[in-house]
Amino acid sequence: MRLYALAVYLFLYLPIAVIAVFSFNAGRHASQFTGFSVQWYGKALSNPFVTEALWTSFVVALSSALIASVFGTMAALALQGMKGRVRMVADALIYVAVMVPGIVIGIATLIALVTLFGWINPLLARLAPEGQAPQLAMGYGSLIAAHALFSMSLVIIILRARLAGMDRSLMEASADLYAPPFATFWQVTLPLIFPGILAGFLLSFTFSFDDFIIAFFVAGSETTLPIYVFSSIRRGVTPEINAIGTMVLAVSLILLVAAQLTLRRGIKTGAQ
Amino acid sequence: MTDKIDHISRQKFMEELRRYQRGSVTRRHFLGVTGLGAASAVLGAAMPGLMPRAAHAQSIGDRVVLASWPNYHDPANFDSFAAESGATVQLNVFGSNEEMLAKLQAGGSGWDVFVPTNYTITTYVEQDLIEPLDLALLPNYDPASFDQRFAGPGTVNGTVYAVPRNWGTTGFAVNTDHTGGTTPTSWKEFWDLTQTTFSGRTMVHDYQLTTIGNALKYFGYSFNSIDPAELAKAEELLLAAKPHLFAISSDYQPSMRSGDAWMTICWTGDGKQMNRDMPEIVYVLGKEGGELWSDFFAIPKGAPHRDAAYALINYLLAPEINAKEVMFHGYPVADARVNAILPAEMLNDPILYPAADLLSALEFGAAATLTDPNRAELMARFKAA
Amino acid sequence: MQRRLSTWLLLAPAGLWFAVMLVLPLCFVVVFSFGEREAAGGYVPAFTLAQYANLPSRGTAFLNTLTLAPFGTVLALLIAYPLAYFLAMRADPKWRTLLLILVIVPFWTSILIRSYAWIFILGGQGLPAVIAWLGFGSVRLINTPFAVMTGIVYGYLPLMVLPVYVSLERLDKRLLEAAADLGAPPLRSFLQVTLPLSLPGVATGCMLVFILLMGEFLIPAMLGGGKVFFIGNALVDLFLQSRNWAFGAAVAVTLVLIMLVTVSLYMWLMRRMGGVRDDVALM
Repeated sequence: MRLYALAVYLFLYLPIAVIAVFSFNAGRHASQFTGFSVQWYGKALSNPFVTEALWTSFVVALSSALIASVFGTMAALALQGMKGRVRMVADALIYVAVMVPGIVIGIATLIALVTLFGWINPLLARLAPEGQAPQLAMGYGSLIAAHALFSMSLVIIILRARLAGMDRSLMEASADLYAPPFATFWQVTLPLIFPGILAGFLLSFTFSFDDFIIAFFVAGSETTLPIYVFSSIRRGVTPEINAIGTMVLAVSLILLVAAQLTLRRGIKTGAQ
Repeated sequence: MTDKIDHISRQKFMEELRRYQRGSVTRRHFLGVTGLGAASAVLGAAMPGLMPRAAHAQSIGDRVVLASWPNYHDPANFDSFAAESGATVQLNVFGSNEEMLAKLQAGGSGWDVFVPTNYTITTYVEQDLIEPLDLALLPNYDPASFDQRFAGPGTVNGTVYAVPRNWGTTGFAVNTDHTGGTTPTSWKEFWDLTQTTFSGRTMVHDYQLTTIGNALKYFGYSFNSIDPAELAKAEELLLAAKPHLFAISSDYQPSMRSGDAWMTICWTGDGKQMNRDMPEIVYVLGKEGGELWSDFFAIPKGAPHRDAAYALINYLLAPEINAKEVMFHGYPVADARVNAILPAEMLNDPILYPAADLLSALEFGAAATLTDPNRAELMARFKAA
Repeated sequence: MQRRLSTWLLLAPAGLWFAVMLVLPLCFVVVFSFGEREAAGGYVPAFTLAQYANLPSRGTAFLNTLTLAPFGTVLALLIAYPLAYFLAMRADPKWRTLLLILVIVPFWTSILIRSYAWIFILGGQGLPAVIAWLGFGSVRLINTPFAVMTGIVYGYLPLMVLPVYVSLERLDKRLLEAAADLGAPPLRSFLQVTLPLSLPGVATGCMLVFILLMGEFLIPAMLGGGKVFFIGNALVDLFLQSRNWAFGAAVAVTLVLIMLVTVSLYMWLMRRMGGVRDDVALM
């Protein structure tokens, strides 16, 4: 049993080890180790395309996760205890958003937005003075919007499970004591569901930061980190990519540990 | 750049060149010693037109995005461009002209320069996806020094949309360690070997023009055929060969070098690069014919870093830089100024400059193949089969 | 009345988001699927069923997906279950959290980079070289269905381990003690107690992995050499190579329909078998 577990862990970490080892390769080729060097870390961090891709990924992940957390929490609260047709439609939409493959979402968003922009841009051009018209295009906006859609579904699902397990009597007691609804929310509901929101936020951030497929179609001329990695792999990898991967892994590890600690504290408070 | 340094460099260059030709130094040594300093000094004397580059240096921004082909650029020249102009080059590579066209059609490619092949340029012009070039910004482009056969397709209806990069052929590369002493010479043998002794070891391009085109050559049809009956025969062959393929990919060098693949449809330069390092891999032009092509630099509509785009094209067209590119990637150029400084060994290389009878059998790609829905769908069906 | 208004206000932003970013794009796909390919590539409005009639030409890709997705799911389950069992039942509780985190960590590195590492490991200079060195002759691993399966199992293993672990960990250990007290041999108590009680986790994990596999495109593209085609690859190819947006839309609609049917059927079955709540299942 223990041996089996060890074998599975080896399987899980073999590629990670390969990535990390070759990130310290002195040579240019990703398949021949020619000596130890940290030059690729320096190269990666001083390459404006890498730093910009990192920044783009960070901004997109942060914005989409924030939007998803706020709007998702609002929707989950509204849906709490709701029955009837609205609830059915909402459930169906969430179901579809989670189930439709990312590749279809990406393509669908691409053709819808490209077509819509094709209709809107000429109108904008007519409204504004010559050459001044803002032109809509794929980019940050479409990336954030597409990622926020999937993330919002995640947040709603997580919170729904949490709200369902929550003691309604607390909120009712609060209302009985004539607390205004807003005060009830701030002082009773929010602390109770906060661990769920945080979990949803972190999950959303991770999803967006790592997503390649949707971004590939809707990013327009922006380059996120996974898109950069993809084009690097295609043009023949230098250890620069390994260095980026190793750095992202290290940062993810730190985030993961932080998230674990917060979540565990949250679960404890939630259980009290 | 003083005259004195110039002379010394030129002299040194010629010395190194002679040593290289005698074979007393390696190519790497030759490039290293003569590299940037020597070669650009030669140019400094020959090409006063290079001077405006200094004026551009401050204003072109810090980056330029280039969409091109695998194994087609010397990273050292990008580094020296960045050092000189301040703009880092981001290279994105593609496996087919279709892929480039699809990306541009979907909008927002973010490219500043791309490298289309001769037969696609009219389509880009019709689709309004390509900018007419302002030749005043490309002082290193000298139309008179280019062979019109290869430079011509860049001009559509009297407007220059693209300037030539390299030309070459599409043949196949085969690892002769596995052929038992003989070397196949035809597309017929290519496809037959694929389905017999080379089963599981052959690669074809992820590119309809060359993969379908060379399947058509098996039957002796035109490389550019869009005749449904002929395409049906080609499809039959492709589907029969599919289970025997190692991969469908336009980046075959890693697999050929690692020994995973033994034979592949191949472009001139890839053939030269592999043959240089592994003499057992040889480059073959099918005697039935195949493709003769010429690539171009072009700027897509809406390029975000237009100044940097012109600067990069201009830089890569400077004869001494272009010569270094040729030494690196092994594709010939149609620029007489470049050929004047290339070593004779390169100019006599049969991979770069095939024998006349082999060359005369080749065809330029035809624009119709790019937009023909049957060819596109055939390729997609073949891959999905 | 006020309560109703606040409910609507709370729902409005998310509702708008779903309408613009989900419903509208899906409507566009449906409309496009009845259109035609523009000569140079793209889409021209039309009303034709020609795209749907052409679906059989992608039969192999559909078939690949419909066989490899369930196969990959089962394979991932077979590998994940013993590990989850070990973590939940046998591992030293002191190390349990750490071991669990170690399962998740690879999942936090880009799948692109991890798959790239597999290209090297399965390529001629990797594992096959080791096998040849050991004297077992030459094998080819990269660009085979085996390579794709390895990548898939590797990529989705953590998603399978976690839900199974959760359901095993929640299991009341006293039930197993009772079974042992009643003289049940370990295998029997596993088959009759542990396994049935872990089924909700198994169901959740399988569904998660299956859904993601149905739309898979990257792993087959990277480890299959452009030869092992999933429907996702066919889709990408139609948009990024052959530029047939109308046909691509028809393939996308078909894929979504197939998923709706299979996943709904699966959830219905699971609910009949043991009341797995769908929000749990989706997580």
